[in-house]
Amino acid sequence: MDKSILERINEFTWRIPTSYKKGMRVPGVIYTSEALLDGVLKDKALEQVANVAFLPGIVKASLAMPDIHWGYGFAIGGVAATDIDSGGVISPGGVGFDINCGVRLLRSDLTFKDVNKKLEILVNRIFSDVPTGVGSTGKIALSTKDSKDILTKGAKWAVEKGFGTEVDLEFTESNGAMEGASIESVSKRAFERGKFQAGTLGSGNHFIEVQVVEEIFDEKIADSLGLSKDQVTVMIHSGSRGFGYQICDEYSRKMIQCLSKYNIDVPDKQLACAPLESAEGKSYFSAMKCAANYAWANRQCLMHLVRGCFEEVFDTSWKSLGMNLIYDVAHNIAKIEKHIVDNKEKKLCVHRKGATRSFGPGQSDVSIKYRSIGQPVIVPGDMGTSSYVCVGTETAMKNTFGSSCHGAGRIKSRTQALKSVNLNVLLKELQSKGIIVKAKGGKTIIEEAPSAYKNIDQVIDVVNASGIAKKIARMRPIGVIKG
Amino acid sequence: MKVNKYELISHTADIGIRVKANSLEGIFCSAASAMFDLMAKEKTPAPITHSLEISLNANSQEELVVFWLNELLSLSQAKQVIFDEFIINKFTNTILEAVVKGKGFNNYAIDTEIKAATFHELKLNKVKNNWQLELIFDV
Repeated sequence: MDKSILERINEFTWRIPTSYKKGMRVPGVIYTSEALLDGVLKDKALEQVANVAFLPGIVKASLAMPDIHWGYGFAIGGVAATDIDSGGVISPGGVGFDINCGVRLLRSDLTFKDVNKKLEILVNRIFSDVPTGVGSTGKIALSTKDSKDILTKGAKWAVEKGFGTEVDLEFTESNGAMEGASIESVSKRAFERGKFQAGTLGSGNHFIEVQVVEEIFDEKIADSLGLSKDQVTVMIHSGSRGFGYQICDEYSRKMIQCLSKYNIDVPDKQLACAPLESAEGKSYFSAMKCAANYAWANRQCLMHLVRGCFEEVFDTSWKSLGMNLIYDVAHNIAKIEKHIVDNKEKKLCVHRKGATRSFGPGQSDVSIKYRSIGQPVIVPGDMGTSSYVCVGTETAMKNTFGSSCHGAGRIKSRTQALKSVNLNVLLKELQSKGIIVKAKGGKTIIEEAPSAYKNIDQVIDVVNASGIAKKIARMRPIGVIKG
Repeated sequence: MKVNKYELISHTADIGIRVKANSLEGIFCSAASAMFDLMAKEKTPAPITHSLEISLNANSQEELVVFWLNELLSLSQAKQVIFDEFIINKFTNTILEAVVKGKGFNNYAIDTEIKAATFHELKLNKVKNNWQLELIFDV
């Protein structure tokens, strides 16, 4: 898209007017900076923001968060809300194949000094105990009953199996399970595809990171979150694995039939959709919830395995190490939420495709402990720089349906990374920064090289300055486990 | 595994392929072998151990090729098999019946997870006398 198309609203916000493309029902609104915008203009991400504006029932704007980059259907970093009572649609493409891909962050009472001397042992232990990589199978065998329960109970299923505690659920978005997940909406194949993978990390950009809190931007809120400088944290990034891919695939096929049935015109088949209140819409939403619940159970299992590794290495219980869950967020999901649009409260279907919920203070959906400060927004960066913890804001509630970014966002394709990055040079560079990386193969490390990503500090500066989340703490990686 | 030539298309987050063949059936087989080649490399040559039937319906050739690749990915993960032989028995613009053969995951070094084939920027057309497909995978 040519820059001249864009209308600048303020320092950190640009608009794609509805006049750009016939069929856009609302404008596109992009949260970015002048510096980041040039990178965004290089690929087709903004075209995708304009395409999303075609969705029936979409309200206010097709939004792009500061980590926006080119995806398929929706841009990654895309947020779109549709008005359910006015025929608003739900689109599997607005959630993605990896349904409820998300991140969780654990705190600890350990400091960098405590961990550094045992870092290599710890990273090796996590790498050996947590199944990673393509085709890896979990150590958690699912009975037929388990395969069903995991879909309706989510993280609670894992807790009932002894993988964590009830308290963990309080600090998980939606308490680790969306209500209304019916297994009738799930095919035999999806069960089959998911049964080997509970408690597995996956590959690609999924990871487990041991981190150190390097900087605190708001002492009071950091304290409420249980974060302090020099403290060791652990971040886990994974999703619903093959189970979610299967749900998305099957329902994308069904939704293509819905385009003619409901007379819907979208410029990309990957945006196929159906009214949420239609039989097809309800069925997808139910299946999506099953996959979302699977993902929360998966991250709960992964956290349990990681806690076990710390227990082995530090020879004490995870509870005595203070390894509590700070929060778990979904960043590929659709949810029914109430938001104010044109001064009226509306029931919306909010799609977050590579975007994190950023509910501000006072929201009843947020854990009581955080209700006065806003929900934690966990933002992973790349393996060589930093990750952030932010909190949700009133501005996000007002402007972005309570949403913010989900990561740094890629700038370089995997093929470009493979051509331009030398594995040994990269590993030495990471080593010189005190970062140990373990992965099944060198290819993943190269594809996920820091140079393939936008500068996370710049992305968070836009988030913070535009007010869609407030930055609280920055962590640097010291141990990285990839698939 | 014999893999027909394919090109990679650069995409910021994902991976695209461009395959060429002198028939539409050839495109379907080449795209499938390119997809599994992106995912995995065989450790040592071994005999086929799995054979499965696939039967698909779609509204168009474009839909059919995406459904075909996604069905293969789905079967691959559900059965823990990498496919390397694709025999198409019936083929029209909207119907495909095939037998696909392969070997277990343990016979391969698998280094890329492909989540799905997508419709985004999909191009399937005839260039002079050859067919050409451009397709983006979610990885």
